[in-house]
Amino acid sequence: MLEIFEYDFMQRAFFAGMIIALLASVSGTFVVLRRYSMISETLAHSALVGVAVGLVAGFNPLWMAVGVALLSAWLIEYLRSYFSLYSDAILAILLSGSLATAVIIVSLGGAFNNSLFSYLFGSILSVSNEDIITILVFGSIAMVLLLTFSKELYFIAYDEEVAQTSGIRVKLLNFLLVSVVAIIIALSIRVVGSLLIGALMVIPTIAALQYRVGFLKTVLLSIAFALLSVACGMILSFYFSLPSGATIVLCVISIFIVSLVINKK
Amino acid sequence: MRFKIPIFDVKNLSFVVRGQNILSSISLEIFNGEYIAIIGPNGGGKTTLIRLLLGLEKQTFGDIKIYGKNIKNFKEWKKIGYVPQRASLVDASFPATVLDIVNMGRISQRKFFSSMSIQDKEAVQDAMLKMDILELQDKMVGTLSGGQRQRVMIARALASKPEVLILDEPNTGVDIVSQKNFYALLSKLNKEENITIIFITHDVGVIADDIGRLFTINQKAIVCNNPKEALSCEEMSVLYGIEAHLLHNHKHEH
Repeated sequence: MLEIFEYDFMQRAFFAGMIIALLASVSGTFVVLRRYSMISETLAHSALVGVAVGLVAGFNPLWMAVGVALLSAWLIEYLRSYFSLYSDAILAILLSGSLATAVIIVSLGGAFNNSLFSYLFGSILSVSNEDIITILVFGSIAMVLLLTFSKELYFIAYDEEVAQTSGIRVKLLNFLLVSVVAIIIALSIRVVGSLLIGALMVIPTIAALQYRVGFLKTVLLSIAFALLSVACGMILSFYFSLPSGATIVLCVISIFIVSLVINKK
Repeated sequence: MRFKIPIFDVKNLSFVVRGQNILSSISLEIFNGEYIAIIGPNGGGKTTLIRLLLGLEKQTFGDIKIYGKNIKNFKEWKKIGYVPQRASLVDASFPATVLDIVNMGRISQRKFFSSMSIQDKEAVQDAMLKMDILELQDKMVGTLSGGQRQRVMIARALASKPEVLILDEPNTGVDIVSQKNFYALLSKLNKEENITIIFITHDVGVIADDIGRLFTINQKAIVCNNPKEALSCEEMSVLYGIEAHLLHNHKHEH
């Protein structure tokens, strides 16, 4: 057995990391195809407000992150339909506004310390048993919803209007997708960090798209790349005492570059 | 006399955007088995009319009934296949095989948690056979020619076994040979499968022998029963513009 698995905290971190890699890559396929990449970045910053409230008020930061990310997702969907011409500007405002709010809350509460740092960049040391249960419960709900509506979400990503004219409830499913993405992002910030989770969601799919294969194979490749990056990232993080999120993101970027080069025509 | 309910029954339809009339007081009926071409100048409201018929836009005034039901209460959208203008201009990087795309035609009919049924698979195979794309089913749609993509998009629409096929300038980005094959195919679907065809086009001269009626849309609608008079009809539209005439098609009893 590898030395790395002799430690309880590494077993927990690895387990949590694998679940998050699975969730992030499957949801990331829809996020990328739906052109929602910026939404995932914005939700990651919004989740940080929940973490800040949790840290200052003494609640479970992960639960608070899920709650705030969900509220933020619904606000984004509403504002995007209301200000459709300026939807990217809406995301930019919410992104920086959320980060500013989180920093102010934490500063006022005197909790601007390592624990916030771990939520920004991810930390394998900090995954608790309670976190594992939270990730399992919410992650299962998110995955069931994604798998149930995967064909409809794929159709909407391909052509929203044609999907609508064929009787698919596009608005409801868009709402569902951002809600599921919000949950997954909030769950991921423990391991990957809120500043870096967007990358784990988007880059495995972008790498998989380079192979120009059908939808199912793209999803499977994306999952494989995410699992590989999280595993390599955690091992490197353990042996070189690096922040886990940053290491994972550099691993997934390396996979993307390799995919780009070997598929270049 | 037999009473026949039109598939689309449009009365006094108007669409206004920021105070500008896009469509004004349009009334028309479309019946089962018809083959209708829609022509008109750019910006005249052709695509808007189609979008209103499909429920993608909400009319400012007037009524739209589909199969006798107010459009708000109409649920059987699987009866209406739609091929949009940009259909043949697919994003080349989208991860979809031809089969992935045609399968989409059955998605709205399946129950949650259920995979494709035998009927679904048969409908998809049948649609691909009709469009002569069976041998392309494992190819990535981004690698196909404009004409091939066009057939894939129509196969997707046909997979839902529609009674009506609505196409918005389907020949955008398609070569001339493919266009001719395409018109022959539409005619076949109309005559042999009794699918009602409604499509926006610029090539009236080519299809004048096939189509039953011609709608000229330029804010208002002029309905021509004899498409061979298309030119004079179009001239009428340009010259008299907003004057609308609804000529009843005597083929239909209503």
